Amino acid sequence: MSKRKRPEPKSSSSGINEDEKNILGLIRSKQGKGATTSEMRSATSIQQSLITKAITSLKKSKLIKEVPNMNNKGIKHFLAVEFEPCKELTGGDWYIDGALDVSKIEGLKEICVKILERCERAKKVVTLDVVYKYFDKDGGDGDQLSREQIREILKNLVLDNVVMEVKSNGLSGFSATRIGEICYKLTGKKGCGGGGGEARDGAFALVPCGVCPHIGICTPDGLISPMTCVYFQKWLDF
Amino acid sequence: MTTEFGIVYAGHIITSHFGSVVSKVCDCLLRRGPLSSREISRLAESDINHNKVKDILSLLIQHNCVQAFSVEPPDGSESKATVQYIALFNSILHRERYSKFSKVVKEELGPECVDVLDGLLSNGRLTLEQMIDRDRDRDSKGSEVIKDSLEKLVAARFVERVPSPEPVLGNKEEGPAKKRGGKASKIFKEPETLEERVLEAATPVDAIRFPFIFEQDSSSTLADEDSNISEGKRKQPEVDSSGPSNEVIWRPNFEELIRRLRHKACVEIVKERRDEGCANVLKAMLEVGRSQEKKAKPDKSVPVSMGSIYEELIKTEAGREMTQERVEACLEQLSATSSYLPAFVIESDDSYIVDFKSIISVAQKDEMESVVMRRYGKEAFRMFRYLSQEDRFVETDKIADAALTEKKDTPQILLKMWKDGYLHMQKLAVTGVYMPFLLWKVNKLIVSRQMLDEMYHASLNLSLRLTHEKGSEKELLLLPMEKLEGALKERRNKYRAKSVLLASTKFKLDDAIMLFHDF
Repeated sequence: MSKRKRPEPKSSSSGINEDEKNILGLIRSKQGKGATTSEMRSATSIQQSLITKAITSLKKSKLIKEVPNMNNKGIKHFLAVEFEPCKELTGGDWYIDGALDVSKIEGLKEICVKILERCERAKKVVTLDVVYKYFDKDGGDGDQLSREQIREILKNLVLDNVVMEVKSNGLSGFSATRIGEICYKLTGKKGCGGGGGEARDGAFALVPCGVCPHIGICTPDGLISPMTCVYFQKWLDF
Repeated sequence: MTTEFGIVYAGHIITSHFGSVVSKVCDCLLRRGPLSSREISRLAESDINHNKVKDILSLLIQHNCVQAFSVEPPDGSESKATVQYIALFNSILHRERYSKFSKVVKEELGPECVDVLDGLLSNGRLTLEQMIDRDRDRDSKGSEVIKDSLEKLVAARFVERVPSPEPVLGNKEEGPAKKRGGKASKIFKEPETLEERVLEAATPVDAIRFPFIFEQDSSSTLADEDSNISEGKRKQPEVDSSGPSNEVIWRPNFEELIRRLRHKACVEIVKERRDEGCANVLKAMLEVGRSQEKKAKPDKSVPVSMGSIYEELIKTEAGREMTQERVEACLEQLSATSSYLPAFVIESDDSYIVDFKSIISVAQKDEMESVVMRRYGKEAFRMFRYLSQEDRFVETDKIADAALTEKKDTPQILLKMWKDGYLHMQKLAVTGVYMPFLLWKVNKLIVSRQMLDEMYHASLNLSLRLTHEKGSEKELLLLPMEKLEGALKERRNKYRAKSVLLASTKFKLDDAIMLFHDF
């Protein structure tokens, strides 16, 4: 007696079978985060081989797309074509192909410092709006920046200690701003390169021991000691 | 805050000033906490017998590096109170700051007072008679000049009467706390140490500590025959430290000298971060409030009115150039806050309070950040600043987002800082997630402690290197400079450049140590 072949699940009107329909539903429900094959298996109880088959078919029908996870290149996420990958997968606005766009960030930081310098010369208080308007007007290179992105750049300059945040008190210099509104000023710190950011030189950081990676194993009579130290030798080489 | 390398550094100072045998006794006290002279002779090296220990203790007491005390036996107990000795870590470290103290006195009271202070600094403790004898052996200024200088020094509180030789501590339930140890509790909360309790009990009241009139004859009521003012009990001291007669004995008052250095540092910090005008205003405020500072290092000054600030300001040449309007503008600037600088002055009911803690914290923060920047790089610097601002545990990815650093590299940078004790880390295990989340935080107390230990270490290294350089050019240094030529002259010049660099760096590093330990 020949074994009867199990009938294929009836195709729906859109041309996809029942398994594919279930998987597509799951992927769509996950929106921008998409679903991995292991998530599909545990959520739908469909066999791995059928899942692989369904994914290939859905990809061919251009209903889903494959997006790599920037934190773990080995894991593939499948998203419905109508969704954009979320920040967790791409890394956010500052990432291109899974890598941080450092040159773009540094370029924007330099521009922000120049805007602040220009405004300070004109004795104008700089708020987020002022910087945003500048980019809105002059940044016509097709790469429009959101207010949030500009805020992130300014915050980063604050962390670099190049720019400081000051809350407006509505008095003297801040008369054009709302009380409590955050304004940005250059710190004007000694030794700060434009947009580069540097710490004020501390006394300890100027001693070779202050930056020595081996200070933990340096002892007066040890293998590494102030008498045999190569960093000291270099520092005292007159 | 005594750290491992702090003890090693203190031991090195004692070795270079008094030799290795004295250092052994001092090291024993620094590491083990208060001990009796018998315990010291048992615990220190076998070649130091009991009598030798007593002599060494007398020497260390003379130089204000050790204080004797005893603890009252529990009620009803038959046992006698034994005399114990405690090493004064701070006073040992002050030995490296004598030039700074002399400079303070020179600026305020002139060169004659400096001579008297220098005598006290190098001899530890002296009576007026001894000071006059010392002067006679030198350039002889005369006993009146010496007496006047001493009076001026006492009035300015730069010199004080020696404390009680052996105060008796009240018997607290917990008994004498261990000087070191109990690390975890020390990190988060600094309780009153035994050293502080002993010093408090030994210090006489201000009227006796800084008398207005003092005589040198032995019948004076001020003479140090019974100086146990605080607790009223006194036995014959085991170690004689009171000198041949019962004349008043004087010593430098490190508390006041450090206070002046603290004020000077605050003015410098404000001058660098604000401007000269603000620094002058702050200086005037400190001058007005100084006499009312009761604690060694208060967090805040007493409130000072605008009128008294201006009155003080116009006493100085720089201050006379300022109008009242300008002073008000400076005060407004000093009270302003930003992400860059906190408020240095607090305005309250038409008067102003200097926030010492906030001024000092700015300089401490800059010290820490510059080390992070140089040791771990710009990205680490941003992360460290972000975590300092947040002052809570933050997850790795959030740190990467805020500091705009590559997500893949962020954990490695954070781990490096954590390994060196600059960050605090916690693992957060979440059900269903294979890898635990890592949370990071900057604990300023732990970082300060870590940095302080490393700074003591660096100071010790600079000192050892200086000795090493001197030792390796020993023969060359014996030759007179004017007879040196060619290669030898060049070698001597190189040695001089090296020693100047090492000594000046050590001097500046000590300022940073004071920021974290004494201010």
